[in-house]
Amino acid sequence: MIGLVDANNFYVSCERVFDPFLEGKPVGVMSNNDGCIIARSAEMKAMDIPMGIPSFKLESLRKRGEVYLKSSNYELYGDMSARLCQLLRDACPAVSPYSIDEMFIYLEEFSDRQCQILGEWLRRRIRRHLGLPVCVGFAPTHTLAKLANHLAKQSPNYQGVCLLQAQSATTTALLKQTPVGSVWGIGRRLAERLAVNKIYTAWDLHEADLQQLRKRFSVVLARTALELRGTPCLHMNDLDQPRHRIMTSRSFGQPTGVKEEVHNALRRHAQRSAEKLRQQRSLTRAVMIFLNTNRHRRDQPQYYPHAMIPLSAPSDDTRTILEAVRQGLEQIYRPGYRFIKAGVMLLDLVDGEQHQLSLLSPPPRKRHSYLMATLDDINQRMGQGTISFGMTNAEAAWQLRCAHLSKRYTTRWDELMQAGTHPGAIKECDLRKQTLP
Amino acid sequence: MSFPPSPVAPALPLTFQPLPYSSLQGRAGFSGFPSPAQDYEPRTLDLNTRLIKNPTQTFYLTAAGDSMEGWGIFEGDLLVVDRSIKPRLGHILVAMLEEEVLIKRYALYRGTPHLCSAHPHYPPLPLENTDCQLWGVVRAVIHEYLR
Repeated sequence: MIGLVDANNFYVSCERVFDPFLEGKPVGVMSNNDGCIIARSAEMKAMDIPMGIPSFKLESLRKRGEVYLKSSNYELYGDMSARLCQLLRDACPAVSPYSIDEMFIYLEEFSDRQCQILGEWLRRRIRRHLGLPVCVGFAPTHTLAKLANHLAKQSPNYQGVCLLQAQSATTTALLKQTPVGSVWGIGRRLAERLAVNKIYTAWDLHEADLQQLRKRFSVVLARTALELRGTPCLHMNDLDQPRHRIMTSRSFGQPTGVKEEVHNALRRHAQRSAEKLRQQRSLTRAVMIFLNTNRHRRDQPQYYPHAMIPLSAPSDDTRTILEAVRQGLEQIYRPGYRFIKAGVMLLDLVDGEQHQLSLLSPPPRKRHSYLMATLDDINQRMGQGTISFGMTNAEAAWQLRCAHLSKRYTTRWDELMQAGTHPGAIKECDLRKQTLP
Repeated sequence: MSFPPSPVAPALPLTFQPLPYSSLQGRAGFSGFPSPAQDYEPRTLDLNTRLIKNPTQTFYLTAAGDSMEGWGIFEGDLLVVDRSIKPRLGHILVAMLEEEVLIKRYALYRGTPHLCSAHPHYPPLPLENTDCQLWGVVRAVIHEYLR
């Protein structure tokens, strides 16, 4: 069985762990530069405030105290994500992060009952130990596990844990009411093309002829159909969800602890990710990198670091992404570990065509799109990696506009959460500080 | 080691004198027998391993207020809070009560569980019939005399 552990409204939940006052209130997290809403609490969703709405439209609601807005605090979210991943590693035989708030767990030879028990236990444990609410979906394949997770979130009957067997009555019923565009890896454009071929629901795709799918669409789509039938055949790198996240990760041929080698691998992944990003005409708002040591080598020191680097403005420029990767590696690289895997993840993607330039964001680099298009064209015709980037120069640190930034509670000594010894103590303490010269 | 008596301050800089550091890798004499200490790698004591038993579930907080001084918690102290510990009577807790984050001692008062402080101004808060929620258990308090 494959399980997908997915945190509910992850960014908002992270904010709430350290600011309990936000519990039960409509909370939204804004993009870099406070441009628009990229995460909403259940209460905010219930107010029919759409995803991606420009922040200034909510300004009057915020002033009246009807909604609470936070600048995105990627450092905090990244740290909580690493903790979540580590907690799962402590409990499960194999874990693989899919995005900042979704992790796959692999449970070979677990019975349905065991999976159910483990899922409920993990849910309670993560809630208590980290303060994060999560849902867990189990199924024989990645694609079905994603649907199971969705069901666990939507339907209160499951109490946060849902297990789907392939070809069962529940699964069939679910596939019949799931629009094909909601299946993993199927974006809006592909869904429109599928509709022309009379494939409207996940069930239609499940029933479709595999050879036809391969011929008319792609191998990946045929595999997705197989996955819906319960045959696992998709790998992590295939599972990119348009408009959501892009990941490129690979194991090293040989474990390495050399910084340059690690950096080079990350740079290759970054360039490949940037290419995928431009192919689907998206822009990324943040770059996450991670490294893994070999967890099966108990005799070697273990280290699973990650770094999150927010970009000052959404970008698809390979150079910007490479620079973010360089900064991230500077933060997390430590000598003395033998890494077996490195990965680059692009997060919180926006549609490039719909993205409006903010007055506050820096102007896009001139002729940048020509350069990137030429680069992609050459690499497509002459083969992957024909042209790649040399080392970039260090640029000035990115200045982000973030008027409502919460503290980086878990990564900065001078920004820790406060606890009072009696009611009102925190306010008194703040007052005393202000009156000091 | 002794310093010559000085009418003013001791000769500086004292802090730059290298501390003797024992190396356990030597061999005992010239007899050719391996030192019994050879199997021990030289190591330093790591405060992290002493104070942090569960790194994933450990968070740091800062204390504000004076009403826990009786339990050794002063304003500005660093709290090492472990969220994986099950609270027991006598533990010092970080708890959320009426939208405030509080540090209190979990103890019996007149036979029922209360959140107690160490200050007469703040009477014990009964836990029954409240929406008090546990945030974590304080494993250690770090009070820095010099910063």
